[in-house]
Amino acid sequence: MHSTLKLTVSHAPFWHNGSSISTKSWNILLASLLAVIPGCLQYGISAIGVVTLSIASAIIWEMLINLISRRPISVGDGNAAVIGMMFAMMLPATIPWWAVVTGTFFAVVIGKEIFGGIGANPFNPAVLAMTIVMLSWADLFDFNAALLNYQFDFNAVYPLVLSKSFGALAVADFDLIDLLFGKQIGGIGSTFGIGLIAGGVYLMLRGYSRWEVAVSFLAGIFASALFFNILNPELYAGPGFHLLTGYTLIGAFFLATEDSSSPVNFIPMLIYGLFGGILTVMIRNIGVHIDGVLYAILIINLVNPIVDKIRPKALGKGV
Amino acid sequence: MIKRSFFGLVKPKLQYEIIDEAQAEPVSIKPGKQIRLYIDQPYENAGEMLLKTGDQVQCGQKIAISDDTAEYLLSSKSGQISKISPFVGILGKKLTSVTIDVDDASSQSCDESFKSACQAPSLENARDFLAGLPGKPNFNVFFDSGKPVKAIVVLGADDDLLGITNQYFIKNNIIAIKTGIALLCKITGISNAILIVPQHLEQVAGSSGAIIKTVDSEYPSAHPELIMQHLLASEDGTSKAKSGIAFFSAEAVCAIGAAYTTGQFSLEKMVTFVSKDGNKRLVSVPIGTPLQDILNEFNETLNDGDRVVFGGPMKGDSVFSTDYPVFPDTDIIIIQDKNQITERSDIACTNCGECVRVCPANMQVNQLIRYLDAGQYEEAADQYDLFSCIECGFCSYVCESRIPVFQHIRLAKHTLESMKAAEESNA
Repeated sequence: MHSTLKLTVSHAPFWHNGSSISTKSWNILLASLLAVIPGCLQYGISAIGVVTLSIASAIIWEMLINLISRRPISVGDGNAAVIGMMFAMMLPATIPWWAVVTGTFFAVVIGKEIFGGIGANPFNPAVLAMTIVMLSWADLFDFNAALLNYQFDFNAVYPLVLSKSFGALAVADFDLIDLLFGKQIGGIGSTFGIGLIAGGVYLMLRGYSRWEVAVSFLAGIFASALFFNILNPELYAGPGFHLLTGYTLIGAFFLATEDSSSPVNFIPMLIYGLFGGILTVMIRNIGVHIDGVLYAILIINLVNPIVDKIRPKALGKGV
Repeated sequence: MIKRSFFGLVKPKLQYEIIDEAQAEPVSIKPGKQIRLYIDQPYENAGEMLLKTGDQVQCGQKIAISDDTAEYLLSSKSGQISKISPFVGILGKKLTSVTIDVDDASSQSCDESFKSACQAPSLENARDFLAGLPGKPNFNVFFDSGKPVKAIVVLGADDDLLGITNQYFIKNNIIAIKTGIALLCKITGISNAILIVPQHLEQVAGSSGAIIKTVDSEYPSAHPELIMQHLLASEDGTSKAKSGIAFFSAEAVCAIGAAYTTGQFSLEKMVTFVSKDGNKRLVSVPIGTPLQDILNEFNETLNDGDRVVFGGPMKGDSVFSTDYPVFPDTDIIIIQDKNQITERSDIACTNCGECVRVCPANMQVNQLIRYLDAGQYEEAADQYDLFSCIECGFCSYVCESRIPVFQHIRLAKHTLESMKAAEESNA
């Protein structure tokens, strides 16, 4: 009666579609390379240094916190690497090493691990860290000063500073096609628009990020920028400019779509994205900050649990 | 195993199996020395039981543990009871295992008590004799006075993936189904009989005389709960809550028809057997035949770490021994090799929302799993619709974190139900 055969006994279902967090992470890393590689070509070896240091330190921070809190080592899922990559994409290439390491500490430890690790973070960790670092050492993120020693064949003034200080007419000579192909200064991985769009579309098609969030985020930016532009064309730049400068594209395709801090239902995703887009333009146009994307994303991260209450009726509940 | 498609923008689709035009005839398998029946009744004091070790049973004889219960099975062979023992089934269910040493083929004898009953078909004798037939017809729903049955629904589509058992009966045995449906309508007095078939069998099913409804080829559209929702969608809320629907599988309807016309039971269960290499075969096997006899027939060997699933890949149960027998409702048996098994993990939910998008019951699985993980089952039921779950298993199938969501849900439901039962018995 007692056979020695030991069969695996587990609960249904006995199939799985094979997806995993690590596959998703590798795909996000792959997609982000489309924007990071042109950035590295533009800013040279120091940009590569920032990217690799950021990824490596993010992984090490996660591993350390795993060891300290005696939890299973979770760096294998690639989430720490993704956070490191996202953080690096927003940094100027000249950022000192200690700012990168401090930033990834904020991202991984403060942004994610103290809330309980993957899936428990209320904010996008990279965005949270970026805002902390930006507010702490504002002069490091003055792109005009930071990238002073580079020689570019285009107008090397941070476009958003220009529009903020001198109005829409000052940025009128920025060609949108040039902006799309990364002929502007900014973060390592956040200026090459076409690469960000290609990477974002890849992730959306593969189902690793939600198109509802990205599309409505961009739609929010477009609509509100257009509104301001019509209101006062001399003061407020047009929607095309807002879509292609600053952190707009990386925000729409890579940051706002972060799983844990974004909604899962259809209508909430649209509201979430739209709200983020509108806030971004409002901060840029009437707020004190130069770029509004990061603050807008933090705020929509906050409203995510509330908007996600808008949900369809479950089967058998109500008529 | 169906993997995630490269393009993940749209919802994943799992297609039901479609029976081949030239489906091979079922392989008939004879049990070896023993058959085993697990009766849905706790093992009691040996003295109070109807059966004793050493009793002779006949083919078609009712095997019940005590008189005052409706739970019984039918012995598919004649022989001698060699062992009666307690058995713990899924979710701690207490069953009684009855092992019968099968007589030689030459000395098989049949139980005759149904012969006279079948002259006057009625719901009572159907309940008393036929509930152990293949397909496990449930006649108790007709005796629930609180919920009058308004329609008989015959499932000609298999409700789990890989299964072709019911399709086989629609395709090859529509005449028997017609007889069975006519008989069911006669004994229940319900004229509203609906036959559910997959689209490709709509033509064949036309001659059954019942109302034909088709279901999609995508899982889980043939799920009885979804069919019921669909059928009841046109009704208003008050009558919806009161009306009942009796579900029968196509196989059960065939067996009921055959039982009343011939006075004998056919206790051969049609099972879709899926071997390790993915080959699907129909086998016709007497109820109670241990798995080992089927494995021997196909020279299938099991190694440590392999998995045997009774039921489909989404809703079945894995078993721990090759002694496990074929039940009246075992439609599919799947053998999985060790390396085909995806391990579950204890990674937390990342809120990706895949489960919410695939859930046919529109549940907020991402929120639900947080409550279930924390053991807050009542809150889960109150706020996040735990009892709306139709148990299709799709959420676990798509979960990126590989959380055993379905297992959490089953455990939560079971815990709440047993708490409720305990409260009621104390009241």
